[in-house]
Amino acid sequence: MAAMITLTINGKTVKASKGTTVLEAATDAGIYIPTLCHHPALEPEGTCRLCIVEVSGSLRKGIRVSCIQEVKKGLVVETETEEINNHRRLILELLLGRSPDAPLLIDLAAKYGVTSSRFLTGENNDCILCGRCVRVCRDEIGAYALCFVNRGPERKVTTDFERLSEYCIGCGSCAQVCPTGAIQVEDRGDQRKISTWGQVLARFKLEKCDHCGMPFAPKRYLELINKKAYQPKGLELVDYICPECFKKRDRASERRQAADLRKSVVKWSVPR
Amino acid sequence: MNSKESKQIVISVCTGTGGVAAGGYKVIDAFEAYLKESGLSAEYAPRTHKVGCRGFCAKDVLVDVAVNGQTATYQFVTPKRVEKIVAEHIVGGEPVKKWLVKQDYHDFHSKQQKLVLANCGQIDPESIDEYIASGGYQAVRKALKMDPEEIIAVIKESGLKGRGGGGFPTGVKWESCRQAKGDIKYVLCNADEGDPGAFMDRSIVEGNPHLVIEGMIIGAHAIGSIEGYVYIRAEYPLAVDRLRIALDQAREHHFLGDKIFGTDFNFNIKVVLGAGAFVCGESTALMTSIEDKAGEPRPKYVHTTDRGLWQKPSNLNNVETWANIPMIIKKGAKWYAGIGSETSKGTKIFSLVGKINNTGLVEVPMGIPLRDIIYSIGGGIPNKKAFKAVQTGGPSGGCIPASYLDMPVDYESLYEAGSMMGSGGMIVLDEDTCMVDVSKYFLDFCKDEGCGQCTPCREGVAQMVRLLVEITEGKGTMDHIGMLEELSNMIKETSLCGLGKSAPNPVLSTLKYFRDEYEAHIIEKRCPAGICKALTTFTVDEEKCNGCTVCARNCPAGAIFGAKKEVHFIDQDKCVKCRICYEKCKFNAVQKG
Repeated sequence: MAAMITLTINGKTVKASKGTTVLEAATDAGIYIPTLCHHPALEPEGTCRLCIVEVSGSLRKGIRVSCIQEVKKGLVVETETEEINNHRRLILELLLGRSPDAPLLIDLAAKYGVTSSRFLTGENNDCILCGRCVRVCRDEIGAYALCFVNRGPERKVTTDFERLSEYCIGCGSCAQVCPTGAIQVEDRGDQRKISTWGQVLARFKLEKCDHCGMPFAPKRYLELINKKAYQPKGLELVDYICPECFKKRDRASERRQAADLRKSVVKWSVPR
Repeated sequence: MNSKESKQIVISVCTGTGGVAAGGYKVIDAFEAYLKESGLSAEYAPRTHKVGCRGFCAKDVLVDVAVNGQTATYQFVTPKRVEKIVAEHIVGGEPVKKWLVKQDYHDFHSKQQKLVLANCGQIDPESIDEYIASGGYQAVRKALKMDPEEIIAVIKESGLKGRGGGGFPTGVKWESCRQAKGDIKYVLCNADEGDPGAFMDRSIVEGNPHLVIEGMIIGAHAIGSIEGYVYIRAEYPLAVDRLRIALDQAREHHFLGDKIFGTDFNFNIKVVLGAGAFVCGESTALMTSIEDKAGEPRPKYVHTTDRGLWQKPSNLNNVETWANIPMIIKKGAKWYAGIGSETSKGTKIFSLVGKINNTGLVEVPMGIPLRDIIYSIGGGIPNKKAFKAVQTGGPSGGCIPASYLDMPVDYESLYEAGSMMGSGGMIVLDEDTCMVDVSKYFLDFCKDEGCGQCTPCREGVAQMVRLLVEITEGKGTMDHIGMLEELSNMIKETSLCGLGKSAPNPVLSTLKYFRDEYEAHIIEKRCPAGICKALTTFTVDEEKCNGCTVCARNCPAGAIFGAKKEVHFIDQDKCVKCRICYEKCKFNAVQKG
C-alpha cells in the first residue's frame, strides 16, 4: 500500500496516498473544489484555474492549482478564502464573457454569485477551451484528431487544417468529456456528424449490425477496436454487433468469446 | 630595419547585426579592394577583420584602423569613405580627423565596465583561434581539473544571479540539478530573446559565441550532463550561423564531443531553432518546444532541475548567464563578488533604446545609478526633450519615472520600483510619450504572444487591452481603472506561467506613477502627450504662426491651409493627427491639446 500522507484541508485532517493531488484528496474527503478543465480520466493540465486553493504549512504560502499540486505532509489548504473566491468570480466572469450561454458555466457562475459579465466579447461560443476533448482524443484514444490552433485569444479547438478529420474515428469521447456541450455527435440514419461551434469536425457512414441491421458504429472505430482489443489476442473482429444485440446474446457456446468481448468492447463502446 | 617594412595593419569592422545592416560587409570589401589597389596588400599583408557588436550601434559602421598598434576608430564608415581613409591614414599616416569618433563615443564608454562583452567587438566571432588567443577555453581547462562540487561552490560564492529575468542564484540552481536523481541530465541555453527592443543575447552570440559554449561546458561538467541544447530564435540568422560555425570549430578542436580536452568527459551541444513564439522563452515552454511539441508552458510545481526536458533534470540558463561563467572560473569568485552592488554581483548588459541619443549595447556594473546609464552613457534625450520614464524588463517589466533616476540599477531596486531586471531591455521614454499608450502596447504584445492555455492570461489580458483601448479612445470611465486593477491582481496571482503572471506589470506600474495621465484621458478626455488620436487636436497659434508654409507643405492629408506669410489653419475634418506639422514647425505655432 502506498504511504499515506496527512494534510489539512479547510481545517479538516485528511489522509491521502502519496502522489494524489490536492483536488483528489479534497474530493475524497467530501470537500468541493470547482473545476472545468479537470476530468478524473484525464491527465490534469491546470488551465482553467478555477481549482485554485491557498496553500501554506509545508509549502510557502501562496496560490496553487489543486488539480496539479500533489499532497504533501503538513500541507495546509484553504479552498474558499475571500481572495480565492474573488479570483474565481473574476475567472468565471471572464469565461461567461466569451460563453454567455454555456449551461454548466452559467450554473457554476451563479453558485459564486456571478450572474452577468462585464467582459462580453461578443463571441458567444460555448467552447471554454478547457482542452478536455483534445486530451481525451490524444492521450486516451490515441487518434490525434483534435488539436488547438493559434495563440492567445485566437486559440480554438479544431482538426488538422480545419478540414474534416482524417484521423477521427467517430468515437464521440470528445463530446462526452466536454463540460459545456460544445461538441455534438449527431446520428441520422446511417450518417454520423461530429461538430463544434461553426465547424463540422468529421462525418461518418455507420456500419450495420450483423444481427439487427441497425447502423451503429463508424468503420474506423471498429477497426481501432479490432487493432487494440482483438488482434493483440490473436483474434479478428469479423462479427459486427451493436451494444443492444450484444446484451441479448447469452448462448452457452459463445459464453467464452462473449466474456472476451465484454472485457474489450465495453471499454470502447459509445455511451448513449 | 626599415620602418616601412614593419608596418602592421589591422582593420576591424563591426559586423554585428547593426554593423551588417549599415553595410559592414561592403565596407570590408571596399577596404580589401583599396588596399590591393594601393599596393599595400602585397607589401604588408594588412588584415581586414570582422568583429562582433561594438555596442554603439547608432554610429555604425564602426571601424578600428590599427597601424603598428596605434588604433583610431572611425564612425559612420561607408564604402565611399574607405578610399580616403586608406589613402590618408594607412598610406599617409594621418588619420582622417573629421570621420573619427567624437567625444560622445568616449562618453558612451566612460562608465561602462565591459567584462562579458570584453572580446565582443575585438575578435572575429567566426575564428576559434582568435578566441583562444584572447584567453578563451582556459577557464574550461581549469574547470575540468576541479571537482564539480568545487565549481558549484565557486559559482555560489560569486553571487551570480540568472540574467534571463528571474534573477535566481545560478549556483543554487546548478546544485539542485546536480543533486537531482536521474541518469541523464541536460544543460540548456535560452537564446530565445524576444522582448521588444532587446538585443543583448543576440549580440553576445553574434560577437563571441565561443564564450557561451565554454560556459556551457563548464556547467555540464559541474552538473554531470553529457548533452546540451541551445534554443535560439530562427529570427536571428546571423547568430544562428555564427553559433553553428563555433560549434563545428569546437568539435574539430575536440572541445566538444567524446573525451573532450583529453579527459574522460563527454559533452555535446545541439542547436534547436525557435519558431517565433515569445512564450517559448519561458522555461517549460522552451523545453516543450525542444520536445517537438507546441511551445506551451507546463504547470510546474516540480522544478525543472528535477523534471525538465523529457522529464529529466535540466538546467536552463540564459545566454548572458552562461557568458559570465568562464571569467568567474578564471578569475575567481572573490574577484567577481567585488564587482557590483551589495546584493547583485557582476555586470549587466542592457540594450539602451527608445528616445535616447546613444542607442546601443551597454555593460555596466550592477548598482550603477540609473541616471548614469541614461545621461552619461546614453547621452540624454534627443531634441532637448524631458525624460519621462524608462521601461525595463521587457513586456513583463514596468515603467520607472524620473523621480527614480538616482536609484541604483540592481535586481532588488528595480523590483521595489515595480519593474524588474528582465533580460535587460531598457526603453527610454520622453515627454511626448503617452503612458496609457505604452501600457496598451505592451499588453497587446502579451495578448498576442500568450499561448492561450489558461483563462486568466488568455481572457483577462485581452479584456485589459480592450479597456485600455477604450480609455485611449476617450470612452473610458473611472470604472475602467477599477476593472484594470481587479484584473491585474487576479492575473498576477492565478496565471499558469511567468508570462501571464507578469503581463499586468506595465499597467500596474503606470497606474502607480502616472495615474494622472489615465485620469486626464478619462475625466478631461485629453491625452497629455498628444499621442492618442481620438483625444488630441492640433491647432495653429495665431500669435506665433508667421506663415512659413512648412506645415502645409508637409501635411500628408492636405489639411492645412493658408497663404504665404499669413496665419495658417488646420481643417479638423481632414486632419489625420499624424503630428508631422507639430514636429516640423520651428516656431512652436502648432499646439496640441
